[in-house]
Amino acid sequence: MDRPPIEPIRTTRKLSFLDDQQLKALQEATFQILENTGVQFPSDKALDIFSEHGAIVDSETKIVKIPRDLVIKAMQNVPRYFTLGARNPDFDLKLQEGVSYFTNDGCGHNVVDFKTREKRASTKKDVGMAARINDYLSSMAFSWTMVSAQDCGLTSPLHEIDVTWRNNTKHYQSVTMMGEEICRYGLEMATVLRGSEEELRSRPPISLIVCTIAPLVQDKEAIEGALVFGEKGIPIVVMSMPTMGTTAPATYAGALAVGDAEVISATVLLQLANPGTPVFHSIFHAWADPRTAAYVGYSLDSRGRYAPVEMAHHWGMPSLGGAFGTEASEPDSWRSAAEIATDPLLVALAGAEIVTGIGLRDTYTTLYPESFILDDDIYHSARFSLLDMDVNPDTLAVDVIAAVKPGGHFLSQKHTRKNMRTSMVRGVNHQLNKSGKYRDPSEYARERVQWILDNHHPEPPDEDVQKEIDRILKAADKELKN
Amino acid sequence: MSEELYKRLMETVVIGEPEDAEQIAKEALEAKLDPLTCINKALMPGIQKVGELFSTGEYYLPELIIGADAMKAALEILEPALIGGQKRDVVGMVILGTVEGDLHEIGKTLVGTMLTANGFKVVDIGSNQSVEAFVKAIEEHGADIVGASALLTTTMLQQKKLVEALESAGLKKKVKIMVGGAPVTDRYAQEIGADGYAEDAISAVDIAFRLMDAPV
Repeated sequence: MDRPPIEPIRTTRKLSFLDDQQLKALQEATFQILENTGVQFPSDKALDIFSEHGAIVDSETKIVKIPRDLVIKAMQNVPRYFTLGARNPDFDLKLQEGVSYFTNDGCGHNVVDFKTREKRASTKKDVGMAARINDYLSSMAFSWTMVSAQDCGLTSPLHEIDVTWRNNTKHYQSVTMMGEEICRYGLEMATVLRGSEEELRSRPPISLIVCTIAPLVQDKEAIEGALVFGEKGIPIVVMSMPTMGTTAPATYAGALAVGDAEVISATVLLQLANPGTPVFHSIFHAWADPRTAAYVGYSLDSRGRYAPVEMAHHWGMPSLGGAFGTEASEPDSWRSAAEIATDPLLVALAGAEIVTGIGLRDTYTTLYPESFILDDDIYHSARFSLLDMDVNPDTLAVDVIAAVKPGGHFLSQKHTRKNMRTSMVRGVNHQLNKSGKYRDPSEYARERVQWILDNHHPEPPDEDVQKEIDRILKAADKELKN
Repeated sequence: MSEELYKRLMETVVIGEPEDAEQIAKEALEAKLDPLTCINKALMPGIQKVGELFSTGEYYLPELIIGADAMKAALEILEPALIGGQKRDVVGMVILGTVEGDLHEIGKTLVGTMLTANGFKVVDIGSNQSVEAFVKAIEEHGADIVGASALLTTTMLQQKKLVEALESAGLKKKVKIMVGGAPVTDRYAQEIGADGYAEDAISAVDIAFRLMDAPV
């Protein structure tokens, strides 16, 4: 069947939120934090690596202080551009200037059942459903774990890989893999899928995202999992989520400095262990409501939202930009659209190489399948906004304007016949019913989901490969669940 | 030979080539073909096909309008050549215009095209037309329906004047009155005593059929 190609946001335009002096000041703050305050790494493996390379390690507090020279030396090895492989080679993503590749949101734990409309815990089947919708949409350049396979227990991250590959042929970034064992099993599955370790390294079909714990703490399982990926040269995203007022200073710059120190400390570790490991830099900052301490992802003043993209580039790293993620709990309210409306536009103008994440509600926790389609529309609106406009004699149509004369109309013109079909691009808001009236966008979005689920069936892995993956899954279930 | 010409003439309407339509209509007359047969066997099926393609979503507005333009170009050659009492079959005769003080034409033009494509004969008297001009055209053409368009709240009052003028002239029962335009509503149409209101060109066709008491 026909499958739309991937349509990333491409633009030659750039928007700067920070000037050189501000970028230098932020970087300087990170140097000072790493050298004087340090970051806690509750992992003996990580502490050993730091010790071997001359960092100051306190084995009791597990806080590592990293001298400036060591940071600079390690950071020189981070690659700026690389390739994220896909099951389907047409969907391999070559990171490059001026191109932003988007994915869906993750990792939620609730699903509003598409048939019963009941809100319930997400399952492996839901992960497959989201992966299938992702595979069809041209806005989706790669896939993320949209919801978790809560029916699969401890090995759910591996089951999420399995069901994603059965339903999706794009690059997969796991949002849930943690710990050395799970990551080793995951990489074994990826090696089987790719055929060899060399292929796995050159076109990795999988990558990993790990989160830090603000302020200035690394998660043992996350860091040790990332080190396993680093051994094989597989890309890793290090994401920090500082919350202003609680886990970070209540100032933008201070929160970004905390987040940056967390990301850079993990990146330095990964480079010391395996120089050249591909790492994405990512900071999703938020606010704590000063009255309730509730997590607020979108304050009215969100001026620093995409500053982290520039900070990443200043370090010579690619960036994962945090977009979407509304706090609205409904699939289609004014709030759900208003909060995210400018996200894809701004993050692409900031130049983020990869961007998350379409489709969840309730602050990254709840999946309404139709939200996928509604957010996809907001994505394409941004993509079109940044496309170049054709200005040439044919599009200027001065001769046609002369033929119509003042007071006439253009509908009788062959030029109009040729161009009118494509000049208005129909989004979810402009779908017509049989009487020529605009339909309810959410109703259309639900129909669209149903159509994709009924008609889009991406080719699963080869039978032999799948058998081998099943074997690995069984072994993992047996070892890790007991 | 004649079948071939009918087919070519029909095609000019379906694919929307007004210049070719005019040329082939001339060729048909030179070949001594009956103009009424040309209309019934080529132009009417052609415009019906265009209407079908529009309603199935394959054609867009420009294809519809240019198809109607092609039919109009051929009719301008063929109609004057009709012999004796020959008359082409039409669903109804419609006078269309934009009211006095209002220069907005496009909505009314679209209604005209849609009605033409659905078998009505339409005389479009243009924009900024006085009540008197409407009445004169209705009488002159023996109209079944008059459609008056207004885009402004200030000019929609002219629609009311038109209804009143038709009543005074004793034409209110002979001609059905349709009104339209952005500020006009169904309620306003009823208040001023008009017979029909449509909010767009597609529903205007349904209303016109209903007013003619003809099947939609």
